[in-house]
Amino acid sequence: MQRQGLRTWLFLAPAGAWFLCMLVLPLIVVFVFAFGERGAAGGYVPAFTFENFANLGARWTAFQNTMILAPVGTLACLLIAYPLAYFLALRASVRWRTLLLILVIVPFWTSILIRSYAWIYLLGGQGIPSLVKAMGLGSIRLINTPFSVLVGIVYGYLPLMVFPIYVALERLDKRLLEASSDLGSPPWRSFLQVTLPLSMPGVATGCMLVFILLMGEFLIPALLGGGKVFFIGNALVDLFLQSRNWPFGAAVAVALVLVMLVTVAAYLRFTRRWAGGRDDVSLM
Amino acid sequence: MESNLNPATEARETPIAELRDASKHYGAVVAAQGLNLSIRRGEFLSFLGPSGCGKTTALRMLAGFESPTSGDVLLDGQRVNDVPPHQRPVNMVFQHYALFPHLTVAQNIAYGLRQRRPRPVEAEISRAVEQALETVRLPGFGPRRIWEMSGGQQQRVALARAIVNQPKILLLDEPMAALDKKLRRDMQIELQSLQRSLGITFILVTHDQEEALSMSDRICIMRGGRIVQVGSPRDLYDRPASRYVADFVGKSNFFPGQIASSAAGRTTLAAAGGLMIAGTAPVEIAAGRTATASLRPEQIALHRRAEGLPVTVVNRIFLGEHTEYLVRHTNLGEFLVLVSRQAEAAEGGFEPGDPAHASWPEGAALILADD
Amino acid sequence: MTDRKDFLTREKFMEELYRYKKGSVTRRHFLGVTGLGLATSVLGSAVPGLRGAAFAQGSIGDRVVLATWPNYHDPANFEAFTAATGAAVDMNVFGSNEEMLAKLQAGGSGWDIVVATNYAIPTYVETGLIEPLDLSRIPNFDPSAYDPRFASPGVIEGKTYGIPRNLGTTGYCINTADLEGGATPTTWKEYWDLTRGALSGRVIVHDYQLTAIGNALKYFGYSFNSVDPAELAEAEKLLIEAKPHLFAITSDYQPSMRSGDAAMSMCWTGDAVQLQRDIPEIAYVLGKEGGELWSDFFTVPASAPHKDAAYALINFLLDPQIGAKEQAFHGYPTGDSRVDALMPEEVLKDPVLYPAAELLSALEFGAAVTLTDPTRAEIMARFKAA
Repeated sequence: MQRQGLRTWLFLAPAGAWFLCMLVLPLIVVFVFAFGERGAAGGYVPAFTFENFANLGARWTAFQNTMILAPVGTLACLLIAYPLAYFLALRASVRWRTLLLILVIVPFWTSILIRSYAWIYLLGGQGIPSLVKAMGLGSIRLINTPFSVLVGIVYGYLPLMVFPIYVALERLDKRLLEASSDLGSPPWRSFLQVTLPLSMPGVATGCMLVFILLMGEFLIPALLGGGKVFFIGNALVDLFLQSRNWPFGAAVAVALVLVMLVTVAAYLRFTRRWAGGRDDVSLM
Repeated sequence: MESNLNPATEARETPIAELRDASKHYGAVVAAQGLNLSIRRGEFLSFLGPSGCGKTTALRMLAGFESPTSGDVLLDGQRVNDVPPHQRPVNMVFQHYALFPHLTVAQNIAYGLRQRRPRPVEAEISRAVEQALETVRLPGFGPRRIWEMSGGQQQRVALARAIVNQPKILLLDEPMAALDKKLRRDMQIELQSLQRSLGITFILVTHDQEEALSMSDRICIMRGGRIVQVGSPRDLYDRPASRYVADFVGKSNFFPGQIASSAAGRTTLAAAGGLMIAGTAPVEIAAGRTATASLRPEQIALHRRAEGLPVTVVNRIFLGEHTEYLVRHTNLGEFLVLVSRQAEAAEGGFEPGDPAHASWPEGAALILADD
Repeated sequence: MTDRKDFLTREKFMEELYRYKKGSVTRRHFLGVTGLGLATSVLGSAVPGLRGAAFAQGSIGDRVVLATWPNYHDPANFEAFTAATGAAVDMNVFGSNEEMLAKLQAGGSGWDIVVATNYAIPTYVETGLIEPLDLSRIPNFDPSAYDPRFASPGVIEGKTYGIPRNLGTTGYCINTADLEGGATPTTWKEYWDLTRGALSGRVIVHDYQLTAIGNALKYFGYSFNSVDPAELAEAEKLLIEAKPHLFAITSDYQPSMRSGDAAMSMCWTGDAVQLQRDIPEIAYVLGKEGGELWSDFFTVPASAPHKDAAYALINFLLDPQIGAKEQAFHGYPTGDSRVDALMPEEVLKDPVLYPAAELLSALEFGAAVTLTDPTRAEIMARFKAA
């Protein structure tokens, strides 16, 4: 028994050490910093004050922008990813499926920066707007708007949404659809009553992944929003790297972590409900 | 669960289901070829054969999951080739039950009723569900989750989910394959009595000959996508049309040879070493052709007196009411003999290595053409 | 024949150089927005055959780590340095002084030389992040070769902390074709009025508190460096009013100016020169009210692990011949009269690079206080978030 316990510990040690060094310790540091004061030249001076938390309101707009665009972006990703994942998992032939799945990942092989620059061109004056103008549909402005940030978000995060949904749909026992059909349900109702509920864990996982990552996103709003669309992630980057107000930055980070924790808790509740009270999320 | 489909009130002459020269090809692969079969109202019919014989394809054509490449499928006299499954008045119990994991037992059973338009009122649905649960002897299990049920219970839920819809035909795709032997036996008996009480036509797909023999009114034996023989279990057992059927239905000893003579319903086969075996041939075979004599183990008697073929006992298996002996004859090789307890008591037991004699009634053998 | 060939080669070289420089803005912007700024390139390893020489000479070690700006140095000069001394140059490039300071403050940077802008030096000195230089180890440094105006920020309380290297101005570039016959503006007042008027939706403001807020202060005639709360409040009001009219808040303005999406942008000297070369209609305006004048300095962090190599590299780069090659690469005037003497006439006459004295006199060096002033940081954040 004792030997087994030791072995378990040995197996867990690397992950545990990693978890401690890369997650717990930095979080503790951030938490401690959040109660400190900014030094005259920036940085951190030890103190115990709630001022940084009291000042969180100064970043309210950034929180607000994030709390609007993160859910909207997640929803947009979902609306595009679901049909795509559905097609890949249930309609595409096996031969095509592999190819199409690779095509979904391929953009990830290139830096998001380069891909965002392509979007800057596409959405910029010489891109789509010039086409629209040439067709005589008037002049539109796409780049450096919340819309262009949304496009970038959907583009960048789509695979993260597609894959969990794809896996859920692919794992779906196709005989359940036959059973549904056999019991008198037309295809669209089978989708609503069987496919959709059974793919919900995948949907929830994808939404959580995208949402959590979007909460900390700063690159896409900076590039495709032209610096005019300001997320909480941008606020953090500025606080740490420009104004060097570490304590306030730490307080914002703590607030962000709390929002994420609430989101994860909601996710767990939600998936548990779908899984019908079982502890594991999988349904099969 | 009295069916409103009282067979007596409907035209008896119309088969409830029919396959007319139905074939199913997947590219070059022939899953079913030229199936012709009439299924009688209220009967219990089994498709029997090894895996890949086309029995599941036949069932799926009836359910609507496959439409025939050529030929027709008829339900109640109507051609339904292009009618999708959800519009067919049949229900299926799936091989691994295919119960909805996100729904409770009651919701699973109510699923079919909830698809009806106009939709029945909830009270009606829950009454029907309760009744179905009672029919499959799971009263009070409605609120349970599927994964809280044992394999046997899931099987019953799957059955309840199908019969609650009062289908014209209940299709059963290897429904007992996942159950252990004891449970399977119980379920077979239950299914059979259920079929009688409901009066619904049952079509069962199985590879288990015992299951087919014990439950079915008729058995349709399939091989390589074709129907080999259709008949009652007794017909198939006593008068198999081919060695394949004889082999598949019950145990049998086969002695290959050549037809020596064939006349007036009596055929004689010259087996190995010139040994003559006389019997009846269900299909006439010309003299000189190779054929096989089939003898059921229980048709052969084993005794000490020097009558019949001299054999040596090779092995003995005690089966309770019977004892199965494996014996060897110089020319015929090894074959099985099933001795009843009574006969064994009269003769005294045989030990491996004992000499004995084997005999069978004159003309008991079946002479079958080689397939 | 030889002359002609030589001429062609030089022209081709300049073209290549120019192309390379055009890409630089993108990279700088990347560093800015990612906040990573750690695109490290080990240039010395390009000539591995020479690395052994370091041990033969054995004096300064095998490497020197430099924190600097993107495309600010000619790699060929570093290769020559490595060949001569055996020390490879590790270069870390950044998007802002603020970012460099943040990294240096965090500790463990491992940097030997930091190229800092004038207004950052007092903060570095106060926090003890850099140390006074031992000028005897930099024989190539001749203080008399520099305009004291540019060199003085490197000297604090009589001690030299920074060796001046490169200078420039911050004005704005404007595509005069978009003015539709209007006169080319000359003031910051016109910049902000055009933003909220004729050029609405097509103007870029730097993503940089010093210049964004400083040039907004100039609209009211206040000091570029003001930290007066009332004056800053006015500047903030102007910035927030202007925001809906902006095309972008970014320091990567070249692509948008080139594509025509933007018509006007706050602009640094080097970018103006590059834009003008391709699009002659683009004018560079130094607001009459003033604006920023800046110079960069070589400094040595107190924590530098390879101080010998740091001095050796600074001294090497201060050689006028090497300085001329550096200027040919990055385009900014070095501020070293010995280098200017080696420059062709047309470069020295370029009004963008060497503005007229009366324009220069109105300009201000960025003040150290702006770097650390929390109010300015907050105003910038509110402006961006608005």
